[in-house]
Amino acid sequence: MSDKGTEFFEKFQDKITRVIKKPRRNYFNVKNEDIWEIADYLFNTMGCRLSVCTATEVYDGLEVLYHFSDDTTGIYYNPRVKTSLENPEINSITPLIEGANWIEREMYDLFGIKFKGHPDLKKLLTINNPHFSEDDHPMRFNRNRTKEK
Amino acid sequence: MSKCRIPLGPFHPLLEEAEFFDIKVEGEKVVDIEMETGWMHRGHEKISETKSYTQSIFLVERICGICSTSHPFAATHAMEDIDNVEIPERAQYIRIFIGEMERIHSHLLWLGLAGHFIGYDTLWMWAWRYREPVLQIFEKVSGNRNHYAMFRVGGVSRDFDNALIPEIHPTLDMIEKKMLMIAGAAKDDPVLRSRLKGVGVLTKEDAINYCATGPTARASGVDIDVRRDDGLEYDLINLDVIVLPNGDVYDKLVLRVLEIIESVKIARQCLDAFPKVGGEYLNKVKHISPGEGIGRYEAPRGEVFHYIRSDGSNRPLRHKVRAPSFSNIPTYKASCVGIPLADALITLAAVDPCYCCTERSIRVVDKNNKKLEHNLLTMSREKTAHIKKVVAGSEKTPIDRIFED
Repeated sequence: MSDKGTEFFEKFQDKITRVIKKPRRNYFNVKNEDIWEIADYLFNTMGCRLSVCTATEVYDGLEVLYHFSDDTTGIYYNPRVKTSLENPEINSITPLIEGANWIEREMYDLFGIKFKGHPDLKKLLTINNPHFSEDDHPMRFNRNRTKEK
Repeated sequence: MSKCRIPLGPFHPLLEEAEFFDIKVEGEKVVDIEMETGWMHRGHEKISETKSYTQSIFLVERICGICSTSHPFAATHAMEDIDNVEIPERAQYIRIFIGEMERIHSHLLWLGLAGHFIGYDTLWMWAWRYREPVLQIFEKVSGNRNHYAMFRVGGVSRDFDNALIPEIHPTLDMIEKKMLMIAGAAKDDPVLRSRLKGVGVLTKEDAINYCATGPTARASGVDIDVRRDDGLEYDLINLDVIVLPNGDVYDKLVLRVLEIIESVKIARQCLDAFPKVGGEYLNKVKHISPGEGIGRYEAPRGEVFHYIRSDGSNRPLRHKVRAPSFSNIPTYKASCVGIPLADALITLAAVDPCYCCTERSIRVVDKNNKKLEHNLLTMSREKTAHIKKVVAGSEKTPIDRIFED
């Protein structure tokens, strides 16, 4: 763990829960209202790069795992934000990091997670596909299947 | 002046990939660009959840035909990251060798395409001619020219035959010599310089903000390279990361040429190591524990990222794949705005050869709704030809003649 990493975990110790520390990989849970502040600190203060985000459907809801890579040390910081299955909504970090634009659109497309504050939230991959209607999100287990015409 | 909207894409007769660019121009100048994807969406992430780990590696190899070893490289890293699997030293050298040879042939392919787009067809023919011996090396080493199927969790699937070393060295020497020649030509040729210098600049701030990776970021002065930053296999060898400051197409070309020379050096280090390092090439892994792992690799175009979550069964619960183009293509919004339309093609091509097969007939609708047919490739080549003549000074261009009259 680098000095920057130790400082990060000390600074946000009351906002971070369930920390899993592995060599060069850190996974931790944060609340939806804190993700902006944590992404801001990781991106602008620590100089991390947002590799990508992973959305996953788990038994108690949907979760989004952000992968911030510290390229000076090779350490990954992965904040995890959970949301409900019925009304999935997470604060967008696109106004902060332009690189999050496409991945948030992809997660909206495949999982139906609405990103609050995204400048142009529309489907990315299935936007031109006639087999997927607007509310059909193909990676969800109980998906709202588009009816065959 | 009123804006014109130029749709480019989505289907292209030459290459297999589809991408749609909506370019807005004012006269000759590009003022805005929008991109749409999705025509190539094949659902690899979902299919991977139904395959076993070993099958997943072969599945992700089919994501890209040009950098086909980068995805298995990153996927095996992700699987090994869950349990911290150790890889035998010989397997590590074989992995590096395959990865670097692939970088050579991918950069040569890009170099040829870039030459083709700006009307340097000699460079295209030469680059692809030098690429052919590299593919033949792959056939000798792995049995396949394109999908090598060399990767397994815990090592590689087949051993490297040490008897091939004397056959490979002359090819590497030839590629290095020719690349030094092309680097010299890029340095000295006034036409190439004036055609590419200052075209499609991506500033360092934009590269960081768009989270660009690979040669796109390194040509803009961002010092990142997964091979060095993530370590693993590449801790065994000496590696120089090449970073250039300007962010234009010229720097991206020079960077790729220098990276080929660097890859040749790395491949030579592997060849030197093979006779000394013997032993096992596969550490058999029978079970992957529940957990999550992140793997990445520096593909020829940037960072390939794989995330795997395991529940202890023989299949991944979630397999996230991110190819480098996903983070590099949005940078067009920064690099294409403000440049002439004739430069747009090479700027689109400079990021990544895969999606930028945009040499096609385009349809322009002007303000009177009159349709005009143009060809971007012809426009791009005409500009080069014009510069060539102006630089040579020997022959008057049509434009010069107009001014005389």
